[in-house]
Amino acid sequence: MNEDQKITLTGKDQWQVLKRLLIYLKPHKKSISIALLLLIITVLGDIFGPLLIKMFMDDYLTPRHFPTNPLIILGVTYIGIQILNAIISYLQMLRFHVLALKVIQQLRIDVYTKVHKLGLRYFDRTPAGSIVSRVTNDTEAIMEMFVSVLIGFVQSGFLIIGVYIAMFTLNWKLAIATMILLPLLYWIIYAYRKYSAVYYMDMREQLSQLNAKLAESLSGMSIVQAFRQEKRFRDEFDDINEKHYKAVMSSIKLDGLLLRPVIDLVYALGVILLLSFFGITSFNDPIEIGVIYAFITYINRFFEPINQVMQRLSLFQQAIVSASRVFTLLDDHELDPRQMEDTTVKMADGRIEFRDVTFSYDGKTDVLKNISFNVNPGETVALVGHTGSGKSSIINLLMRFYEFEKGDILIDGQSIKNYPKQTLREQMGLVLQDPFLFYGTIESNIRLFNEELPDEDVRAAAEFVQADKFIEQMPKGYKHQVTERGSTFSSGQRQLIAFARTVAANPKILVLDEATATIDTETEVAIQASLDKMRQGRTTIAIAHRLSTIQDAEQILVLHHGEIVEQGTHQELLAKNGLYHKMYQLQNGLVQEVE
Amino acid sequence: MKVFFELGWFFKERKKQYFMGISLLIIVAILQLVPPKIIGVVVDEIGAGNLTGGSLVKWLSVLAASALIMYVIRYYWRIMIYGSSMTLAKKLRADLFRHFTSMAPSFYQKRRIGDLMAHATNDVSAVQQTAGNGVLTLVDSITTGGFVILAMAITIDWKLTLIALIPMPFMALSTNYYGKLLHKHFHHAQAAFSDLNDKTQESITGIKVMKTFGQDKEDIEDFKRLSDDVVQKNIRVAKVDSLFDPTISLVVGISFFLTIVFGAKFVVAGDMTLGDLVAFTSYLGLLVWPLLAFGLLFNIMERGSASYDRIRNLLAEKMDIQDKEDALAIRPQGNLAFNIQSFTFPGEETPSLKNIQFILKRGETLGVVGKTGAGKTAILKLLMREFDGYDGNIIYGGHAIGDYETLKLREAIGYVPQEHFLFSASIYQNIAFTNPEATEEEVINAAQIAQIHDDILHFTKGYNTIVGERGVSLSGGQKQRISIARALLMKPEMLILDDSLSAVDAKTEEAILAALKGARTDATTIITSHRLSALIHAHLIIVLHEGTIVEKGTHDVLMALRGRYFEMYQLQQLEQLVERGGEPS
Repeated sequence: MNEDQKITLTGKDQWQVLKRLLIYLKPHKKSISIALLLLIITVLGDIFGPLLIKMFMDDYLTPRHFPTNPLIILGVTYIGIQILNAIISYLQMLRFHVLALKVIQQLRIDVYTKVHKLGLRYFDRTPAGSIVSRVTNDTEAIMEMFVSVLIGFVQSGFLIIGVYIAMFTLNWKLAIATMILLPLLYWIIYAYRKYSAVYYMDMREQLSQLNAKLAESLSGMSIVQAFRQEKRFRDEFDDINEKHYKAVMSSIKLDGLLLRPVIDLVYALGVILLLSFFGITSFNDPIEIGVIYAFITYINRFFEPINQVMQRLSLFQQAIVSASRVFTLLDDHELDPRQMEDTTVKMADGRIEFRDVTFSYDGKTDVLKNISFNVNPGETVALVGHTGSGKSSIINLLMRFYEFEKGDILIDGQSIKNYPKQTLREQMGLVLQDPFLFYGTIESNIRLFNEELPDEDVRAAAEFVQADKFIEQMPKGYKHQVTERGSTFSSGQRQLIAFARTVAANPKILVLDEATATIDTETEVAIQASLDKMRQGRTTIAIAHRLSTIQDAEQILVLHHGEIVEQGTHQELLAKNGLYHKMYQLQNGLVQEVE
Repeated sequence: MKVFFELGWFFKERKKQYFMGISLLIIVAILQLVPPKIIGVVVDEIGAGNLTGGSLVKWLSVLAASALIMYVIRYYWRIMIYGSSMTLAKKLRADLFRHFTSMAPSFYQKRRIGDLMAHATNDVSAVQQTAGNGVLTLVDSITTGGFVILAMAITIDWKLTLIALIPMPFMALSTNYYGKLLHKHFHHAQAAFSDLNDKTQESITGIKVMKTFGQDKEDIEDFKRLSDDVVQKNIRVAKVDSLFDPTISLVVGISFFLTIVFGAKFVVAGDMTLGDLVAFTSYLGLLVWPLLAFGLLFNIMERGSASYDRIRNLLAEKMDIQDKEDALAIRPQGNLAFNIQSFTFPGEETPSLKNIQFILKRGETLGVVGKTGAGKTAILKLLMREFDGYDGNIIYGGHAIGDYETLKLREAIGYVPQEHFLFSASIYQNIAFTNPEATEEEVINAAQIAQIHDDILHFTKGYNTIVGERGVSLSGGQKQRISIARALLMKPEMLILDDSLSAVDAKTEEAILAALKGARTDATTIITSHRLSALIHAHLIIVLHEGTIVEKGTHDVLMALRGRYFEMYQLQQLEQLVERGGEPS
């Protein structure tokens, strides 16, 4: 429920977030200038239309004076302006839209790039769903704001300025008089924003309560029914339902008081202002009807964008919250362990040494205690032990998923921290317990983005692990579609594809997290044979769940509570008659009386 | 339109509100005509030079009054119409919830919780939109549109009205066309966005593989490509979306132009005044919204209708398990005789249970052993009457369980499920689940038997600690023990522990079993367990394999058989030894 954590932002915080968002506009200066220019032209068009009609009314219609040519010019100009304006405003709107899309795309890529830089610790403590939300949904909410609120603001700003300039040229006294509408509008927007933030929050909170109650009741329905608590749950739900209803009603009332109806009221006030001004002036001086027409039209125009922006003000609030979440992720410091990017260090043989390594995930309980062992080039060491014994932690450290402080891990005599990241990734191949396949084809899963790899190598890798037989039986062979997570393949087939992927990358060191899942015997044999082949010539560290698979390992480490409790070859360990021996018996189902 | 008839029952129920709301809307539609008319009149009087202070004040007062009345009315129709639509949403949600609580597990097996959630949220809100915005747009576009046209035709000039309306159909047609186009492109854009979402989801789930192969750069490139696709598809949406406003303003502009040209002619001919012309243009502005609303209305109704159908289908689902008409309203008590020839879960082909027979006397303990899928849980589900429709009978306290009221039957059974589900509430509330009014003593007593009391006292907030999805995370063993305390609090006639000791260690298990024995002398207990140590003292143990009983007897009898049970027991002893690191305890 990470996402629903309430973020309370002060006005100042909101401003900071907005400012940081606006920085993303910088690379698009040119595009913005063009869009603004187009916007100014459309505003000019909006302003000139009524002026032309005013001219027609005052100069020709009122005096009943109709010369042909000037009137045709006037008419053509008017229609011309309308058409041109439509075209330009289309271009302008499109440009702003595209701009917002591009800005969001950049933000998205930034977030995604950052996600890749984060260490596994971050992924441990953050649910995948909420990271995905940061990348996609939150950025989408920000875009909504760009498109419908920010652009709307800019448009109305320009239009208001344009309308005022026109009114000032027509009649500056009246223009000044209409200025009193501005603080009034400002106050309404301010008040609406202030109260709606409160009501809106309350409404969202009630809604999330409602949904949480619903989701929880649905998941726990069997318990509710087994304990006959249906009625109580209904009552509780009705209660939250009622609270939600009340919260919604409050916000409807607020919208009714401060949204559209009040803007219409202010509009009427504007009209009253205009008419009384013209009326009073007309007692002494003659008034041009066209000017009245123009002013009335301007006042109409003036309110259109304001209404639109206010309807969508709630999006603004939402976007700011989303943006602050996105920025929190961008500022996170839980990065991957750092490597000394010293390019001279090369991996030659693949000799691994753990030297007195002690490690803890949370800084309190050590999951590895003074672990030391050596693996010679080309040899295999197997790690066995119960869940929580520390096997996986050894691999996590070797793969540099987590940083460790005490002790050191050496490869060919060099601290693992001194190797460039790229070298480590190229030379160490990890095969996971649950082979993760990506959406795409079998081929794309084997090459895994390595486009330079020739097709022959992909095939060779598959052949090497003996995956070629089942792949070639697929309707489209190597181009066969892999759906989400490879769910159409058996777990054995998935494992073989993952093996081929590792072989294609040709690492010096092989790290195996053996599958615990039950695989049918036939595939198991195939997998075992492939594994043996893969291990040849490579230093291998393997987590073994089935002891039968590691009998030929040069060294077996038995772990218990983060310590190596037994060490030796299969035969040596069996002879010891210790923990390993018992595990071996257990797995082979050797039943005998245990005292 | 169909959906409005289908919702007729609701409109009838709230006829006062809807009648008021619609009446108010009509009044607003009429009052809206006042300002343009007054503008026209004042302009005319100014033009003619006969405007007096008195008449100006009069006209402006009328204008001010109508504006104020409109403000008040606009506020109230919102409450009437939108408010009513909210009560519809509330009612539908409550109905759905009520329905959910009465549906049997088979209902939940067929559906995903996410889908049920979607019905109670998205579909309800689409129907609510229909009853709110749908009614508004329907009434508003007809009344406002109608009145404005009438006002233009009657009070000003019908010929000019016709001329001014010539371009308007183009607006309705083109916006309708854009709407369809937009829908199509929007669909593509959504699909692209969903691809991006899937990609992100996949990469984040497979982050370990990504990191292993050092594929971050390539993956980011791939992401860029997909996000580019999102941009491209959205640009297409924007290309259509940006057409709306310019088209509308162009059509309105042409309409204005026609009005001015022909209006001027009529003014010169003396058919109308200049003020009429100004008023006419103001009316024209009022026509834009009703025309747009018509297109919108179609959309709202379509969505509302589809959603309402889904909701009705869901509500029409029948309950699987129903009480008999003369069901016994007593809490069952006594011996249990279980005799099932065969039972198959609905929707499955092979039977899950075959030939299961046993008798459990009141106060005795039954142990059920078997692998996952051997049929342990199926037995319990039948016993709790989550499913009917089996060959055979289950007699509890002298009557078939189907003869009791389901509520009464369940009142006798305290069930501790495998998946220990706790609610987002305090530990106290979770334990006092069946009886929120339970005394502190009762709650603590249950917690003590379940061996969780000491753990709870260690939490900073003790019994008030909030648990569940939104609370502190407990270990599996702690959750299991709270689940046990929850079942104990209801002092059940029969306690069922469905593999509910799997996450507690052997010592705690022993302590719980011993405490249960002491506290529940007369009561019957059924324990299913992977771990045989929990069953040693049971009066009867049945060993299940593929849905049928393969061994039956007490621990000693079964050990002497040297069969399946014996083998399992030995292996488990060894396993425990390994878990302890090879040291004998």
